[in-house]
Amino acid sequence: MQHLDPDRLVLLALSEETADSDESVHLAECPGCSAEIDDLRHVAELGAETQGLRALPPPPERVWAGIEAAVTAPVRRLPQRRERRWVLPVLAAAAAAVLAIAGTVTVQRFTDRPEPPAVTAKASLGRLGGAPVAAGGAAEVIEGSKLRLDVRNLPLTTGYYEVWLIDPDDMTRMMAMGNLSSAALSGAADVVLPLPPGADLNRYRLVDVSAEAYDGDAAHSGKSLLRGTLTN
Amino acid sequence: MNPDDELAERFRAGDEHALRLAYDRYGGAVLYLGVRLLGNRADAEDVTQTTFVAAWQGRGTFDPERGGMLGWLLGIARRKAVDRLRSAAREERVATTVRAQPVADEESPERVLDRLVVADELAQLPAEQRRSLELAFYDDLTHPQIAALTGLPLGTVKSHIRRGMANLRRRWEVDGAASGSRSAGPSRAL
Repeated sequence: MQHLDPDRLVLLALSEETADSDESVHLAECPGCSAEIDDLRHVAELGAETQGLRALPPPPERVWAGIEAAVTAPVRRLPQRRERRWVLPVLAAAAAAVLAIAGTVTVQRFTDRPEPPAVTAKASLGRLGGAPVAAGGAAEVIEGSKLRLDVRNLPLTTGYYEVWLIDPDDMTRMMAMGNLSSAALSGAADVVLPLPPGADLNRYRLVDVSAEAYDGDAAHSGKSLLRGTLTN
Repeated sequence: MNPDDELAERFRAGDEHALRLAYDRYGGAVLYLGVRLLGNRADAEDVTQTTFVAAWQGRGTFDPERGGMLGWLLGIARRKAVDRLRSAAREERVATTVRAQPVADEESPERVLDRLVVADELAQLPAEQRRSLELAFYDDLTHPQIAALTGLPLGTVKSHIRRGMANLRRRWEVDGAASGSRSAGPSRAL
């Protein structure tokens, strides 16, 4: 019998059809065809196991923070250590001098540090009925153009979390700001979303995090988990 | 050049931005491997971190001729995880108290790694090829059923599935756990 054709091997490997007796005899005798079908079967098995592996949640941001610290550490940390070693002997020598130097060091550190981004409004996010007791977070408006969210302990979801700015005087008026990445699922997440230029934050001052399903419906699901009001 | 190759090239050249991109692209798979091998999230996060740090520091040893970045990173992560399991086992032997060991996961590290590689390749197949394979793998549909469901001619479904299987197999051979590049060579040191 001649070798099995590639389409036939795939069908057999996927167990869609079973080998007839001629094919079985050939597969038992032909090392080429039997190796081929073994490989295809293995790949088909692996393929069938990949469901659920297609959108793996990313590691939490703290893992990235650790990587970043490790790859940049030699540059950043050295000066600080030197500073400390230098201050200590002086401390032993003369207390007054130390006070002056420590003062200088503090001032230097303070002035060396880049300006932190200006927070123009903030809100502490409290949990609503559907959220676990430990859930919570905070929101900050940075320079009027970005919304920074720090959320923790949101429940696991098969959908996703959407962030809204709502007008508390008319709760039907709201703007969707974007979604929280699945990093939020793995504990804590720190997310920065752009604000639409010209958004009236005095009116749309209620920050709301809702649980949404992948149902193609862009409207608020009505399932709010966290809320807080922005104040200047 | 496809985006993954371009990313690998930039990573190798020491572009720090590429480290973050690689982390965004492959971090989830590395963490998943860690969780499956170590059985706890904290250790898995640690292994993810050390894997990317080691990969960055050893980026010169990455050889694109021998496979892709995902396979390389998963290979490093697997060794980090296995080292950790070994040292945990040593500590366990030294400890005087005998504790009940959690039942070890029967699944081999190689199998988990291979599955991640195949999942990554499946996600990158052309849409119709991917859809046909998903229906065959996940829903156990036959070629004629897939043809009926997708409205594609039977011959097209056959060729999508044959080509798709060939693509998955090629990637598995190149980046899977059994590939030669993972068991020898300079990257072994990472």
